[in-house]
Amino acid sequence: MASIALKTFVGLRHSSPENNTTITLSNPHRRRTTQFRISASKSSPRVTGRNLRVAVIGGGPAGGCAAETLAKGGIETFLIERKMDNCKPCGGAIPLCMVGEFDLPLDIIDRRVTKMKMISPSNVAVDIGRTLKPHEYIGMVRREVLDAYLRDRAATAGATVINGLFLKMDLPQSKTAPYVLHYTDYNSKTGGSGEKKTLEVDAIIGADGANSRVAKGINAGDYEYAIAFQERIKIPDDKMKYYEDLAEMYVGDDVSPDFYGWVFPKCDHVAVGTGTVTHKGDIKKLQVATRLRARDKIQGGKIIRVEAHPIPEHPRPRRVLDRVALVGDAAGYVTKCSGEGIYFAAKSGRMCAEAIVEGSENGKRTVDESDLRVYLEKWDKTYWPTYKVLDILQKVFYRSNPAREAFVEMCADEYVQKMTFDSYLYKRVVPGNPLDDLKLAFNTIGSLVRANALTREMDKLNL
Amino acid sequence: MSMAIFSPKLPSFTPHSHSKTHLGLRPSYLPLRHLEKLQPPLVLSSDSASGVAPAAPEETSAVESLGSNGSATPPPVAVESVNGFQDARWVGGTWDLKQFEKDGNTNWDAVIDAEVKRRKWMEDSPQSSNNDEPVVFDTSIIPWWAWMKRFHLPEAELLNGRAAMVGFFMAYFVDSLTGVGLVDQMGNFFCKTLLFVAVAGVLLVRKNEDFETIKKLVDETTFYDKQWQAAWQDETSEKK
Repeated sequence: MASIALKTFVGLRHSSPENNTTITLSNPHRRRTTQFRISASKSSPRVTGRNLRVAVIGGGPAGGCAAETLAKGGIETFLIERKMDNCKPCGGAIPLCMVGEFDLPLDIIDRRVTKMKMISPSNVAVDIGRTLKPHEYIGMVRREVLDAYLRDRAATAGATVINGLFLKMDLPQSKTAPYVLHYTDYNSKTGGSGEKKTLEVDAIIGADGANSRVAKGINAGDYEYAIAFQERIKIPDDKMKYYEDLAEMYVGDDVSPDFYGWVFPKCDHVAVGTGTVTHKGDIKKLQVATRLRARDKIQGGKIIRVEAHPIPEHPRPRRVLDRVALVGDAAGYVTKCSGEGIYFAAKSGRMCAEAIVEGSENGKRTVDESDLRVYLEKWDKTYWPTYKVLDILQKVFYRSNPAREAFVEMCADEYVQKMTFDSYLYKRVVPGNPLDDLKLAFNTIGSLVRANALTREMDKLNL
Repeated sequence: MSMAIFSPKLPSFTPHSHSKTHLGLRPSYLPLRHLEKLQPPLVLSSDSASGVAPAAPEETSAVESLGSNGSATPPPVAVESVNGFQDARWVGGTWDLKQFEKDGNTNWDAVIDAEVKRRKWMEDSPQSSNNDEPVVFDTSIIPWWAWMKRFHLPEAELLNGRAAMVGFFMAYFVDSLTGVGLVDQMGNFFCKTLLFVAVAGVLLVRKNEDFETIKKLVDETTFYDKQWQAAWQDETSEKK
């Protein structure tokens, strides 16, 4: 029992939402390594005769928001996207704060999810969402609609949107020489396969997703990634009514050994899927198990599409090199535990663009690595607590079946629901009432201990 | 690629391990085993054959051989109702505590045993979660002292017993070597430190594997931080 106590002891220190401890742990590290950062932008040479040219590779949420902010800042922006109507396989959930922060029109949101059901390995079902206020919801969007809207807004702001496939880039030989991008332009009238073109720019934002070519170009290194596999299923109307504003999360070894299975409602069908990092080869088996767990609720459904995509698990070792920066999935900004990436992609695109606009004084000066590191530092400082807390939650609660049972049990608690939704919807990790935190910590340990005790009895049954 | 994959409800085969006989006389489980024998001919449909029941391969072959013998064809009604966990004491998605009474008090040990079996059953053959019969059981309805009595106390007894035996002989040994008696040993700072280390060690390290577990845990807690700071490590090495 003590070895489990050890695991839960670690969990105790980190599972309570008050992260004053975690913040102080990480700060000393960074103070040491960033002391020598030089602000060189003010001494950068002026750009003569033209504005700074920046290329954004990839036209998803990250690229679209970056291009818009750059264009608004007076920078000559080129947005290169290979497939304008790309229907991306994605959960499609955006937090409430994204609507406000990015001025999204409300008709982009297909559905407002206000209830969630968590289902444990032994099918204990817990409803969460009681604590949501009437105006709070999780927005479900279609990626093709959202991405197109953000790109169009960037174009309206003055960015040049190019329909093309980025091939490679030539690194510059000096601090002021431009980057040369090689890409295949699909816009030209020369026929199906497109025309090879080059483009000279002063800086590049790599927003081209999990298999980023820009990342390869700067040797950014690799990350571990999860495979998310999803089937879109059209279910009968009466079954669809149940999912009108409700999303489900299934946890269990059968569904995923290190992630969760889900049923998310889309515009007129549901997406049933699962994901894993460690057992990618078994993904089909895990998907079958997910469908089985949801069987009664999706009965009579027809699969209309099968899709899969990689999800980064952590940032790449190198996110900035000279005048190239990575944002979004290309940088690896997907949270653990929930696997959320859209908001962070858009926000990082915006933050990086803002750093470039500021460092170049609205396009009048050249930028260099230190300006891009301003973005990195701001990003890490703002969102590190969120990422760390979610990482700890994943490590503690997705470990094993008893941990998942405890997780679902804890989700029934109202305080937990309130903290979870507050941090998800507004992207703030707010330290709550210390007394409630203590009670929560107590209850968490209790749940974990009980679930693990039951599991050890279960193992005895096997013998 | 569209295909209709959902045929009318098929119950999943319940791989009931026969090693349960050692549990002795538990009348509630006989009906379950009895029902299981009626089920053999009904097997998961082909498209999900690979996935769902982990022990599927050998189970289905055993099933097919039984089926071909022309053994009892189960009435459809009985089959439908076995979908999901069935037990006389499992009512409305939770354990009916009234059925666990012994001498007027609830027999919590039996509740724990029942839940253990249910979870084992669910793990071996995952079931579809159903809205009409939601599972609402919460382990916190079992009072804390029942958990203590069942799980903590036996282990505590074991550890304390070991500690007492080792402690007695260590005290005797130190006394014989140095002539310092038990009371004086306790007064010495060095001895107190050793005692503290011994107690902490016993609590944290149970088996040899625990050393590795602790080391791995320490690595685990700092791994994510290292991955995030990689972009800054880069700068350190470059600037040097």
